[in-house]
Amino acid sequence: MSEETSQAVQEAVPQPEVAPAPKAPREGLALGLAVAAWILPGLGHALQRMWGRALVVFVGVGLLVVVGVSMRGNIFVSRGNDAFDTLGYLADLGTGSFYFVARGMERGGTDVSHANGDYGTRFLATAGVLNLLAALHAYEAARGRKA
Amino acid sequence: MNGLHGLVLTHFQAFLLFAAVISVAFGFLGRRQPKDRVKYILWSFFLFLLVGVGIGWAMYPFSR
Repeated sequence: MSEETSQAVQEAVPQPEVAPAPKAPREGLALGLAVAAWILPGLGHALQRMWGRALVVFVGVGLLVVVGVSMRGNIFVSRGNDAFDTLGYLADLGTGSFYFVARGMERGGTDVSHANGDYGTRFLATAGVLNLLAALHAYEAARGRKA
Repeated sequence: MNGLHGLVLTHFQAFLLFAAVISVAFGFLGRRQPKDRVKYILWSFFLFLLVGVGIGWAMYPFSR
């Protein structure tokens, strides 16, 4: 087959559509918004002008943290004794800057010898996981996914 | 508020607070239209209560 024929055949055969290259700037922006949402609960949505969601995430995470600390829940630290402590630390760290607010608010220390302290520990962990979920939502919204 | 033990809530009060906050957050994150959000929040809150009370009753025979 001559070179001209080969070229003609190539042109005649329909070529599969090439998928468009991923939009790197948008992906980077989405990642930045996710990090912002993690650092300050609600910020990722606020920067996308989703005011209602931003307010609910900020107030929801903040309320859970304040109640959790007020109930003398355990705020885990990085030097955990076992895997559960490490998991608790990761969950607490999910609140971003609120983790340090919680550490600052802690006055009388933790008290998990009573049920209330244990409930407080769960509130703090829930706040962190909820904020991570919100950060993931902000990331998906920034990527243009249905949100 | 109790100085020694901090904020004191009963198990049920803590449960209601938890369910309310999470339901509102799920409603706002999961739905866009206000009407859909309200329906989702109420339904989610109701299911939290149902499952929580249901698990409580399921554990009752082993509580003593």
